[in-house]
Amino acid sequence: METCLKKVMDAVDIETFFVCKDEEEGRDLALKLLEKFGLKDTDIVFIEHSGAGARVRARGYLYRAGDQYAWLEGDK
Amino acid sequence: MNKDKKILLAPLDPVHDIGLKIMNRALKENGYETILLPPDYQPEEIIKSALENKVGAVLVSRTLGYGVAELLSKFIDQAEAVGLRENVKIAIGGMGIRVELAQELGYDAGFGAGTVPEQVIAFIEDREPKLDLSGAVKSKKNITDGFNYEYADKKIEALLDKIAEKTLAWASTKTSKAILRAELRRKLMDLPDGPEKDAAKQEYIQLSDEKIRNFYQNGTMPPYTRPLSDHEMSELAKYVKTTKDQMRMKKLQKVDKNPTVFIQYGTGCPFMDVAHIKLSESWGADGVVHFDPSWGARTEGFLEGYLTHEQDGTIISPENLQVIKASLEPSTLWQVRAHRGLNTPETVLLAGKIGADMTKINIAYGSLGGGTDPARLTVDAIQCMKYAKEFNMPFDVVTNEELCGVPAHKAFAGMLTTAHIAIKLGCRPVLQPLFVYSPEVMITGEMEDNYVDFNAAKIKALRSIINAPIWPGAPIGFLTQTEDRVQSSISTAMHGALASSLGVEAISIASSDEAYSGGPIAGPSRIDTLTAVKEAFRFFGSAGIKPTELADGMAAKIVAGILDTLEKAAECESFPEALYAGVYGSTAEGAYPGRGGKDSLMDK
Repeated sequence: METCLKKVMDAVDIETFFVCKDEEEGRDLALKLLEKFGLKDTDIVFIEHSGAGARVRARGYLYRAGDQYAWLEGDK
Repeated sequence: MNKDKKILLAPLDPVHDIGLKIMNRALKENGYETILLPPDYQPEEIIKSALENKVGAVLVSRTLGYGVAELLSKFIDQAEAVGLRENVKIAIGGMGIRVELAQELGYDAGFGAGTVPEQVIAFIEDREPKLDLSGAVKSKKNITDGFNYEYADKKIEALLDKIAEKTLAWASTKTSKAILRAELRRKLMDLPDGPEKDAAKQEYIQLSDEKIRNFYQNGTMPPYTRPLSDHEMSELAKYVKTTKDQMRMKKLQKVDKNPTVFIQYGTGCPFMDVAHIKLSESWGADGVVHFDPSWGARTEGFLEGYLTHEQDGTIISPENLQVIKASLEPSTLWQVRAHRGLNTPETVLLAGKIGADMTKINIAYGSLGGGTDPARLTVDAIQCMKYAKEFNMPFDVVTNEELCGVPAHKAFAGMLTTAHIAIKLGCRPVLQPLFVYSPEVMITGEMEDNYVDFNAAKIKALRSIINAPIWPGAPIGFLTQTEDRVQSSISTAMHGALASSLGVEAISIASSDEAYSGGPIAGPSRIDTLTAVKEAFRFFGSAGIKPTELADGMAAKIVAGILDTLEKAAECESFPEALYAGVYGSTAEGAYPGRGGKDSLMDK
């Protein structure tokens, strides 16, 4: 895992605005964006489409409870 | 630079000069002679003034915008050309200014948003700034201080007396496996290793459910649970030490009347809990509340060891609680909940022995919305109260049955009944009305216009009954928040401002992930609402929110409803009988007497 990802406490949120026709398209775009960042355990936390496009907050979990957290290992 | 030379402060800006005015005052207070130019001077005019006054330093300010970098660069080039740079320090400050940009443009220093005067003075004096990096100085607060628990409403007091006396008499001949286990736990914690301790352990195991017996006898872990390794524990200790060493805490409260702010944790993993607690302490949380898994409440007996759990709720074991307690800052209030389930006495005993500041006890909610048999929970809760008194732990009495659909007045009657039993036992309960968009108000429309009146009415009603601390929860604004973190944070902040305006002692706040159900709460979402509440406290200060005239009528209606409920309850044999009979919330209202531990009481 990249050092920058190791230091993430639990999840990475990406917030943006997609120029898209509806919520479904915005959702697909957001999940693809997370995939581009190498995030696998992903979900859409919030999405709202209105007129011009969709405001979205998409999340990729690096860790869930019970995992072994790389940030606990310090700078090793 | 010595103080013989003047300092020139020049806003290289058409309008903004507030930052320089603040600096001007600070420099004067520190014995410097200054020249503050008005806004909108040209670079040439500023340089001319610097040369004529033989200044030792020039502090230029400018809000960053399009084309500004060129202007700043032009200023420094001109200063260079006339030889001003040779003996004069030149710094730039303003919104959007960063150290890197200042260096790139050739300035000796750059000061952006958040700069304190000491940083600029240190630059002028060629020394390191003496900054207070300690953060807010916080002390632990007992939110029950100053309350005498005297009743203003004597009718309600008399009814509560009647119900409490009957209930205490009814419970006095009864005990439960949970009470026996709690006393065994005390032995397990106090006794040295040896036959007596071994016998206590065996007895404890026999009084536990099969899932727990399997753990002790066969080493079988419950689903989604694993022990934390020695290596992980050692890494956690290092993490906690490092984090404590660098801890700086913000203070959310702007004025004294702002309430103490609690957050709730229970990620499933004590490590992630510790991480969220440390993050929340940094951003100003005053207290933290431990959430355990729901299956733990339906199981007789506790596990032991450092255990992590992949689902919501962090397992209560002596070791898990100890590791969490050890991570807390000295000022942080720690609450361990014991309001429902089959292990409540042991939970309060563990909380007390390990050093919790507060616990949570409520017979009505734990029975009607928490799945525990009313009779069993009543007997266990009375023992919990005795432990709470022994360990000097106040506890809140929550009214979450409102979320099932129980009207506020009935939930309050249950809360007051529990609280009154506690008062009779010498405890110091805290009333916890919900600040919530409840099923009741959705039907009655009492929050159709605003979220202020009905919540204010709840506080007014309780204040007209008893002099007791009030801690709205849990969390405030529940069912008003959406998955939009801005909306969620604002809603929490507004409810926090309302709570403060009403002068309550504490609040529990959610993260901005409150309404998101797709995964665990993420750390940053805690910062969202802590920051939002801080901003709300800053915005309102000592000012308040004024409910409409409807709030008084709503409060009177709640009090009348409480009285009516207690009159009916006083006719019943005991508190649990009234709970079974639906007096404190009926099945039609969504309150179902729990079945966990049904028929499990034993004679003493």
